[in-house]
Amino acid sequence: MDFKLTEEQEFFKKTVVDTIDRIVVPKSQEIDEKDEFPWETWKEFTSLGYLGLRYPEEIGGMNADKVMCMTFYEEIARGSVGLAQGVNMNILMGTYFIHRFGSDSIKERCLYPAMRGEKISTMCFTEDQSGSDLGATRTTAVRDGDGWRINGTKMWITNGPICDFCTVLATTDPSKGLKGLNFFLVEKGTPGFSNGQIIHKLGCRGTVTGELVFDNVWVPYENFLGAELGKGVFYVGDILGEVRLMTGAMALGIASGAYAEALEFSKKRIAFGQHIGNYQLIREKLAEMDMLMNAARLMVYYGAWLLENGMDSRIVAAEAKMFATEVCLKVVDELTRIYGANAFAYEYTPQRYFRDARFLLYGGGTHEVLKDFIGRTITGKL
Amino acid sequence: MNILVFIKQVADTEARISLKSDKRSLEIENKYNMNFFDEFAVEEALKVKSKIKDSQITVCTYGAKKAVEALRTAIAMGADKAFLLDNTGLDNDDPLITSKILANFTKNGGFDLIFCGRQAIDDENANIGTMVAEFLDIPHVSAILKFDIIDEKKVVVESEIEGGKATLEVELPALFTTQKGINEPRVPLITGVMKAMKASINVIDPVTLGLSKDIIDTTASKISVLTYETPAGRPAVKIVDGETTGEKVKSLINILKEDAKVL
Repeated sequence: MDFKLTEEQEFFKKTVVDTIDRIVVPKSQEIDEKDEFPWETWKEFTSLGYLGLRYPEEIGGMNADKVMCMTFYEEIARGSVGLAQGVNMNILMGTYFIHRFGSDSIKERCLYPAMRGEKISTMCFTEDQSGSDLGATRTTAVRDGDGWRINGTKMWITNGPICDFCTVLATTDPSKGLKGLNFFLVEKGTPGFSNGQIIHKLGCRGTVTGELVFDNVWVPYENFLGAELGKGVFYVGDILGEVRLMTGAMALGIASGAYAEALEFSKKRIAFGQHIGNYQLIREKLAEMDMLMNAARLMVYYGAWLLENGMDSRIVAAEAKMFATEVCLKVVDELTRIYGANAFAYEYTPQRYFRDARFLLYGGGTHEVLKDFIGRTITGKL
Repeated sequence: MNILVFIKQVADTEARISLKSDKRSLEIENKYNMNFFDEFAVEEALKVKSKIKDSQITVCTYGAKKAVEALRTAIAMGADKAFLLDNTGLDNDDPLITSKILANFTKNGGFDLIFCGRQAIDDENANIGTMVAEFLDIPHVSAILKFDIIDEKKVVVESEIEGGKATLEVELPALFTTQKGINEPRVPLITGVMKAMKASINVIDPVTLGLSKDIIDTTASKISVLTYETPAGRPAVKIVDGETTGEKVKSLINILKEDAKVL
């Protein structure tokens, strides 16, 4: 087995680490404290071209392999989860269906500007009664003349209140359940498309999350994003592995930021006449954190390798997402214990890691749903 | 304009560095970067290129194979070509030998302008730039803070000197070492990163540059490291005991008299 990164992957990783350290890390605390979309950092960072990470070079992308993508997702989350959520939405979920199914004019209007950071995208799955349970989607899309008429409300939409366009999951035939689901493009300014409530979150502050309302929104037929009707849920399956691995990679990013903080603090903080890193109980914590992160990293990058090589990554992706986010919770918890009371103060960073880590529990599927999925898949093979 | 930039790959400032048991060599964690001052050199070359049409930037380093990474960083920033003068089997710490090798690489290249950092942040020698210029018999100015192209034959530079700054007019070809403050090195664009990932780096055996091995190998070095020593560790902070401020002051005076013996 060869776990070594290629020379290109090594170089990419180093460049991303340096870039995040220079542009994002110095702003991370401010992004969290202000809890507003960080337009200035967004412009500075996206002008470098990273939003085209996974798209072909012919259209201005980088055509990065999945290992490089995970490296990027991990590192930007290490810098600031508040920024990372918005950036990763533009890189993956917000533009995936536009790239795959959009017409040339849609790509000109939406995809290419989003790859340059000039437009902000999002993907709308969740509703008040559906999230992991996509079959309960109540937003409808009905044929109307040369287009579609969309009605419904979406919740917990990352980038929602500031998006220039969104990919909306809607049912074209509620009687068909999952097989009635399809995706549609809705652009800002379309009559009936508006923002609802902004959700004020415990963590991932700086990411703007909220409701989107579709009140008799009419879009032309070409805004249907799919090869044929009723295949929406299969298309979701095509992207879900990468979304889950991305969430795991982001958890690794938070964990490695927290671990570095813990290590640094244990070398500086003196108690009872010596650095606390000299005490076995602190060393045990650092060893445990390092061990868990190494295990999580192996899972996430193994999943990325499977995905890159076109192999079945569904179970590994779900397991990696779950394991890495649970490891992240453990690591940030240990950071707060090593840091002592200052970890509880807003002036220091541990509380930010602690809050941010919670959010990754839900994105990409709750762990209850994922465990059920893994169990069903395993027993289905018997 | 034909521009050359010398760079060096150095240990990251956060890399763990420890002494080997012989105390004459170092164990360095695998974290390396382009030398801090060389980033200013690359950036200044890029600024010249943006002003003078059809300029070409070559970056060059004398170092281990791993130094290719630093060369790729320079290409990601915008340099056009890169050369690694591979020091495998020649490793030594003598800046005189490094300078001879770099000068021999440079002498037939037709370069109008040469930049490098004022010093490397690992050995802090600050010798290479000036010695290469002397070997090439061209003018040099150290620690420049401002660089203005007058025409393709002449530049005006501002350099840092003891207690002030000097402004000098210099005829090209010439060599300049860059100081912090001259510019803000750019963050590479993704297009640059992609170019750098695919770039083929030219690897040269220094022996092929017209220098016989006996004058550039380890035995030719006029410098040999006897020992390295780490800085003395800081003593632990002592918290002065006492219930009240008065008691703490008394206790402190006692410590200054009895322990520190400064009173």
